[in-house]
Amino acid sequence: MSARTELHDELRREVAALCRRFPAEYWRALDRERAYPEAFVAAMTAAGFLSALVPEQYGGLGLGVTEASIILEQVNRSGGNSGACHAQMYTMGTVLRHGSEEQKQRYLPQIASGALRLQAFGVTEPNTGSDTTRLRTTAVRKGDRYIVTGQKIFISRVQHSDLMLLLARTTPLEQVQRRSDGLSVFLVDLRDAPAGAFSVSPIETMMNHETNAVFFDGLEVPAENLIGEENRGFRYILDGMNVERILIAAECIGDGDWCIEKATSYAKERVIFDRPIGQNQGIAFPIARAYANLRAADLMRYRAAELFDAGQPCGAEANMAKLLAADASWEAANVAVQTHGGYGFAVEYDIERKLRETRLYQVAPISTNLILSYLAEHVLGLPRSY
Amino acid sequence: MHIVVTIKQVIDPLVPPAHLRLNAATRQVDAPAGIAPAMNGYDANALEEALKLVGVHGGTVTVVSLGGDSVRDTLRRGIALGATGALHITDPGYVGWDALDTAHVLAAAIARYTPDLVLCGRQASDTDAGQVLFGIAEALGWPVVSPVRAIHSIEETGVVVDRLTERGSQKLLVALPAVLGISSEANEPRTPAVRSVMAANRARIPTVTRSELGLNAEEGRVVLRRLSRDVHDSHAEIIAGATPAETGAKLADALHAAGLI
Ligand SMILES: Cc1cc2nc3c(=O)[nH]c(=O)nc-3n(C[C@H](O)[C@H](O)[C@H](O)COP(=O)(O)OP(=O)(O)OC[C@H]3O[C@@H](n4cnc5c(N)ncnc54)[C@H](O)[C@@H]3O)c2cc1C
Repeated sequence: MSARTELHDELRREVAALCRRFPAEYWRALDRERAYPEAFVAAMTAAGFLSALVPEQYGGLGLGVTEASIILEQVNRSGGNSGACHAQMYTMGTVLRHGSEEQKQRYLPQIASGALRLQAFGVTEPNTGSDTTRLRTTAVRKGDRYIVTGQKIFISRVQHSDLMLLLARTTPLEQVQRRSDGLSVFLVDLRDAPAGAFSVSPIETMMNHETNAVFFDGLEVPAENLIGEENRGFRYILDGMNVERILIAAECIGDGDWCIEKATSYAKERVIFDRPIGQNQGIAFPIARAYANLRAADLMRYRAAELFDAGQPCGAEANMAKLLAADASWEAANVAVQTHGGYGFAVEYDIERKLRETRLYQVAPISTNLILSYLAEHVLGLPRSY
Repeated sequence: MHIVVTIKQVIDPLVPPAHLRLNAATRQVDAPAGIAPAMNGYDANALEEALKLVGVHGGTVTVVSLGGDSVRDTLRRGIALGATGALHITDPGYVGWDALDTAHVLAAAIARYTPDLVLCGRQASDTDAGQVLFGIAEALGWPVVSPVRAIHSIEETGVVVDRLTERGSQKLLVALPAVLGISSEANEPRTPAVRSVMAANRARIPTVTRSELGLNAEEGRVVLRRLSRDVHDSHAEIIAGATPAETGAKLADALHAAGLI
């Protein structure tokens, strides 16, 4: 076995061992109460998993996206939900790749230790949605500060984050050549944001996921919190988005394998009409098909991660991995429900919970249609549809 | 202070017994493929206790294990958890069921370190025999107390522990050096940081063979000839009579016939 595969096995084992301390009842209770998995996130932080992508010189584990994706996959594979903390792993990537050395020194070691949480990423807006470059939140320079005004929606984990990475317009749309110009990225310190200038309004969703509408009303952000150059922010977040897509693809793979395992073992055990239901091809084939689709998606996820870790362009692969994996995990969850019959709807079987949790990934962080549009336009050279 | 912790590698206790297979050829119990062996749970409690003690009093912790190459993974785990060093003892004839022989080998290795304290798990989750620690103490001529549910303090005169008894517990002062068998009530073992797990992969673990410890290769050892599963037959018989007295008499006859009374 190569040292790399050994490391991967080890990571899986360690995460699985940690997750055993947070069994199904733990996640079920949180789901019922719509509560944040504090104890789980604290354990993940203490063990150092969330620092996987921070280089060793800044106190992290210095691992690649492949390894990070294995960690999150294993959380979901174990029945948990990485959504509560995955962003702590990758949001810092924008600071790492485009921030100044001073910003890196200041933030990364604390993010690596978990003393600072940077797991909120403010992009989506109510009026522009998927049309990101038209977003209307503005940051206007005034002396040594920027004044931020606008509104964001579905911004996750804000209540459990110290910092937010924010995408805002610094040059009006009419004054730029390309729509992706004129956007800038800021690191917003939420801890000292005055209530009048920054407010948060939680949005209840169908699964246990802390997400919010946030309002900026003249929030002052020190100019030193600008990441990279002004107006070039859109480019900076793109490579971060690739990482996000690969990691979320891996979470979907974890969900899918969990669902297939549940479906398979139930199909072997449940005897109806004097035979295990899994003996009926009507039950076995959909599970087998879901499994095949999941494995194919998994290959794309590893391919995308491999390219990213080698510093190669991976936009198409990262998008395809997310697309295929989100579809496959949904198929697997749906098959698990069907295989379980009525019990698939019973909360104590956790299947309906997984179904709700994994459904998100066909919409967020980018919806399936937008990935298809990307492939059509940028990979296949078809005319832009919007 | 220097503490030696003995560690046994066992089949992960999370594997349901129905999934275990008796391997007639190797005379071993096999876990399903892909399930990595684990550190015996009570040994993890012993290691945790050792780490807490050196955390307070300073000193070093050495983990030792006897077995094949795979035990090195378990020793690495010990290092990842915080042990200062590890020793792997190899013995081609080791079968894992011979408590007395295992104790002799471990004692010979432990004697090299002249530790203040030897902490063992109260028993191993595969055999549940709990004999090795007594054998070690006997070989070293040291006092031994087990099962220990708490180590209270280290005094000039020894170590103060709580030993579990059938009806409660005893508080004992045990002269050092001593061997203690730690029970799971003592603590909740820590989980290692991933960084330590990764660093432990690079740790150097010395190996010593049974013969290098000056022990004869064969003498006095248990030879495992066959490993088989006990097949339990059970059947039920309902004894009925016209009156309770008659039923009772029939029951007594039946028990007598079965040689039970
Ligand atoms: C639980 C949750 C958490 C989230 N967390 C975050 C977060 O932390 N940060 C953040 O910035 N955002 C977050 N989002 C927002 C998420 O990224 C958006 O919901 C998503 O990008 C879609 O945007 P929208 O909801 O405005 O949909 P819209 O853009 O209104 O689209 C609605 C539907 O129309 C389709 N559509 C739109 N335009 C086209 C087109 N041209 N061709 C074909 N189909 C089209 C879309 O694919 C979609 O199916 C989160 C969302 C949810 C639900």
